[in-house]
Amino acid sequence: MSRPEISRPRIVEVRERVLKQNDLLARELRSQFRLAGTRVISMVSSPGAGKTSLLERTLTILGPLRRVAALVGDLATENDANRLQRSGVPVKQITTGTVCHLDASMVSAALADWDLDSLDVLFIENVGNLVCPSSYDLGEDLRVVLLAATEGEDKPLKYPTIFNTADIAIITKIDLADAAEFDRNAAHRHIQAVRPGMRVFELSSKTGAGMDAWIAYLNEGRS
Amino acid sequence: MHELSIALEIIELAEEALSRHGGERVKAVYIQVGPLAGVTREALLFSFGIACEGTTVEGSSLLIQEGEGMDLDILRMEIEP
Repeated sequence: MSRPEISRPRIVEVRERVLKQNDLLARELRSQFRLAGTRVISMVSSPGAGKTSLLERTLTILGPLRRVAALVGDLATENDANRLQRSGVPVKQITTGTVCHLDASMVSAALADWDLDSLDVLFIENVGNLVCPSSYDLGEDLRVVLLAATEGEDKPLKYPTIFNTADIAIITKIDLADAAEFDRNAAHRHIQAVRPGMRVFELSSKTGAGMDAWIAYLNEGRS
Repeated sequence: MHELSIALEIIELAEEALSRHGGERVKAVYIQVGPLAGVTREALLFSFGIACEGTTVEGSSLLIQEGEGMDLDILRMEIEP
């Protein structure tokens, strides 16, 4: 029995990373940074963990010594950029609107009118969020995850992906550790559980405690 | 909550693949998502349903299979005709 020809659905192979475009652009950025000799350090944390405070202190110390600049991401306002501008180094705000993370295209667009050759170190402060930024490569050399002593020591267990994609961890607001009954040992144990061998700094941007080790680390391998 | 961004990327890649393969409409998109990809299945399905409206992917089903680690890949698509 003959029946009319009907076109059937067919299966086609695709096999592509969903964030392929971001990854490609991040790779391009990374080679631009390498070519220009710019070391790029990104910072991720939950909102309020102290990224901007740490950056302000870091820029103030490094500013007179090296050619540094910063990009800061937030959903809205130029508040962080205004605050960081006090350190005297070039700062640019990226406002993402409703987007919960920075991606490589936002970084690329923000850098369009900056001359990378004139920068030794570029800091990128991501939007405060412990989930979404982990998926987006920004072309950075080093990703730093911040954990405030006031947040509780189990954050690494609750958000393993962001700790896993970061290179080093910084425990901030260490001056408040006792008041917050922060269990230091547990925090270190939890970090090592999700990212074995991860280097961890403890510091207070407010009192300056622990800043020396962080600054020394940033100056390591400096040409 | 970056599932909307992820959904938009999936739709874009699906539309590209559709024009490569010369189909008319996407019926289903198969993806794999690892446990560390930071993607919530429900939020992704919800975002996908809304974001594909008005595209050649509209009305298609998004089928999510368990991947490893940070996997986040489109594997294959069902297209018609």
